[in-house]
Amino acid sequence: MRAPDPTIRIAVTGAGIICAIGRNKEEVWRAITESRDGITKLTRFPGETFPTDIAAEVVADLTPLLPISRREAKRMSRSDLLAIIAANEAIAQASPPRERAIVATGTSTGGLLEGEEYYFTRIVRGRRRAPASRVLQQPTSAPSDAVARTFNLGGGVMSNATACASAGAAIGMAADTLRSRHADVAIAGGSDALCRLTYSGFNVLQAVDPSPCSPFAAERKGITLGEGAAYLVLERWDDAVARGAKILAELRGYGASCDAHHPTAPAEDGSGAEAAMRAAMGEGSGVAVDYVNAHGTGTLLNDSAETKAITAAVGTRIPVSSSKSYFGHTLGASGGVEAVITVLALREQLAPPTLRLDVAANDCTLDYIPHTPRPMPMTNALSNTFGFGGSNVSLLFGRVL
Amino acid sequence: MNRVAINGIGVVAPGAIADVDRFDTGGLSAHKAALVRDFNPRQYIAPLKMRRMNALSRFAVSAAKMAIDDYGRELPRETGVAIGTAFGPVQTSVDYMREYVEKGAALAPPQLFAESVANAPGSHIAIEWGLRGFNITVTQRESSALAAAMYAASQVLKGSVRAAIIGGVEETTEMVFSVLDRIGALDDEQRNGMVIGEGSAMLIAEKSESAKYGFLSGFGIARDTTASISDWGSDPNAIVTAMRNAIDDAELHVADIDAVFVSANGVKRADDVEAKAIAQLFGERMPRLVAAKQVFGEYAAAGALQLVAALREAAGNILINSISAGGGIVCAVVTR
Repeated sequence: MRAPDPTIRIAVTGAGIICAIGRNKEEVWRAITESRDGITKLTRFPGETFPTDIAAEVVADLTPLLPISRREAKRMSRSDLLAIIAANEAIAQASPPRERAIVATGTSTGGLLEGEEYYFTRIVRGRRRAPASRVLQQPTSAPSDAVARTFNLGGGVMSNATACASAGAAIGMAADTLRSRHADVAIAGGSDALCRLTYSGFNVLQAVDPSPCSPFAAERKGITLGEGAAYLVLERWDDAVARGAKILAELRGYGASCDAHHPTAPAEDGSGAEAAMRAAMGEGSGVAVDYVNAHGTGTLLNDSAETKAITAAVGTRIPVSSSKSYFGHTLGASGGVEAVITVLALREQLAPPTLRLDVAANDCTLDYIPHTPRPMPMTNALSNTFGFGGSNVSLLFGRVL
Repeated sequence: MNRVAINGIGVVAPGAIADVDRFDTGGLSAHKAALVRDFNPRQYIAPLKMRRMNALSRFAVSAAKMAIDDYGRELPRETGVAIGTAFGPVQTSVDYMREYVEKGAALAPPQLFAESVANAPGSHIAIEWGLRGFNITVTQRESSALAAAMYAASQVLKGSVRAAIIGGVEETTEMVFSVLDRIGALDDEQRNGMVIGEGSAMLIAEKSESAKYGFLSGFGIARDTTASISDWGSDPNAIVTAMRNAIDDAELHVADIDAVFVSANGVKRADDVEAKAIAQLFGERMPRLVAAKQVFGEYAAAGALQLVAALREAAGNILINSISAGGGIVCAVVTR
């Protein structure tokens, strides 16, 4: 069987995003440059009482953004719809050939939101009378299937649910699928809609900050939950050049590791995260890294461990920031959303800041670019995503002139 | 030649297809499934650790323990884990929501939330044996286990890990069973349909010239663009493409294939499309066809159990098909 060929370069030829700060790249980047976050009062679950009450929701009406009929949309989950909107933007930008195009999606909840509604209806009406049509879209394979069907993609589907590392893993898996020539194009990213189970679950784990999250700050108390979707269009470099596609960035490396430490907490020494970053940089042939888009969740444990990992892998002088301070933790989608942010940062030569970082914590000793974006020359940037179960993924992107 | 050796196998297999007695199927049309019976995870997992694991994790960790024991050596630290599951720990999410409804959103048990993520089984395996390579949980419905195998094999060949645990795990739950029954996907007296199954199979993969069981030698993927979200599609050409890609990837010819482990699961319209595709590819020289899901039932455990069954065949080159609702297709070739 063909192994992934390390000499094949991977081009990013399209990017699409929807999250709390915007419905597309342009809106999202404008919010980044204006230091404007998307964190507000939680509105999606009226009548429910949670210990905290803020979130980074997608407040936009999704219907006008969808390239499908209302009838089709009614059968799909919110995660499917967010995925279709982001994929639509990415595919429109790249206009890739579709016959051997795969969809690789990372999601942690899939259609769990609709699953919950089905469950509640069942309690009231019994299992024979609860409508089963939308619960069909509950499996975590559904966003990939929905995107592939909407855009008539014939290459295959490849979903993963590796908690918050899912979308990063999807992008890495897609790149190696292209490198082993099992497909010609990959629509790779992630999607996750807010749902009650995760909102409640992170609260009972006491991992949610009652105020908007402040990654790396002394007063940080946890995450802010968000939702969204993002996709990249990936192609082999030579194919992209041959068909005259505009190349936005290069995906230069992918590293994946596991802490093998604890079901929910990261290894405190950051060794697993360090291994993922080193692996990503190793694929990039030991290039110098100019910026790290951190996982930066805002929990005590993550930000401390990630600081240690970055220090060990890249050094103490590297500028680092957490764009989760804008759009919260989009869980399974975060690797995709933040990959798009990293690609945009390289193109604009502008590093997004960490909002609300007045005083960095004693165990957070790096340059976290507080409050406002920083114009700076960047050739290579890492994007980190780590998840429950100790799964770590790091992606290395390179600037293309 | 580039291929990945399988040097350890562990299995938690379902018993015979029989009436479901774990949950009430009253009022439903279908009543049968391939459930795991007389399984005692205490044989494989320490009691304190077991308390933290749901049924899905217990299946997976037990199968991994058997595979590692069968392998007979310590796995390197740089071992990856790729597990396929179609539905993941649905029962744990249901249990969590029950507590959520009864006690309130602030008082549901955190342990259940931690165990509700699809990658909980893979995480337990990494923690139990200190495995620090990639740890990915693939969720592509019926194709989950073969897609996981494809990814893990590529990483072993690439050298990003020294070995990998590959597998599939599934649990038959009341929620999934009743929803599939409602949409008419399950087999009952009146209609054709599938029987779902549960269990787990784990395989130890590494790059080596000799193999205890055989080699993963090729993979091929495609998607049937005629498929809807709940249907397998109607275009045999997509299946032909995936089968041909897998055979090419194994550097074999169509005539070299001795047997096909078919994806057929009892849904007639899907089985017919696969039969057409196989006839189209093999023509007059039809290899032996094996319908293993008649024994294992459908879903990711079946995908991994099919892989094990193919590797345990006495000889020859075997093509394995895995076709998903939604149109995703993964094919694999195993060789001796």
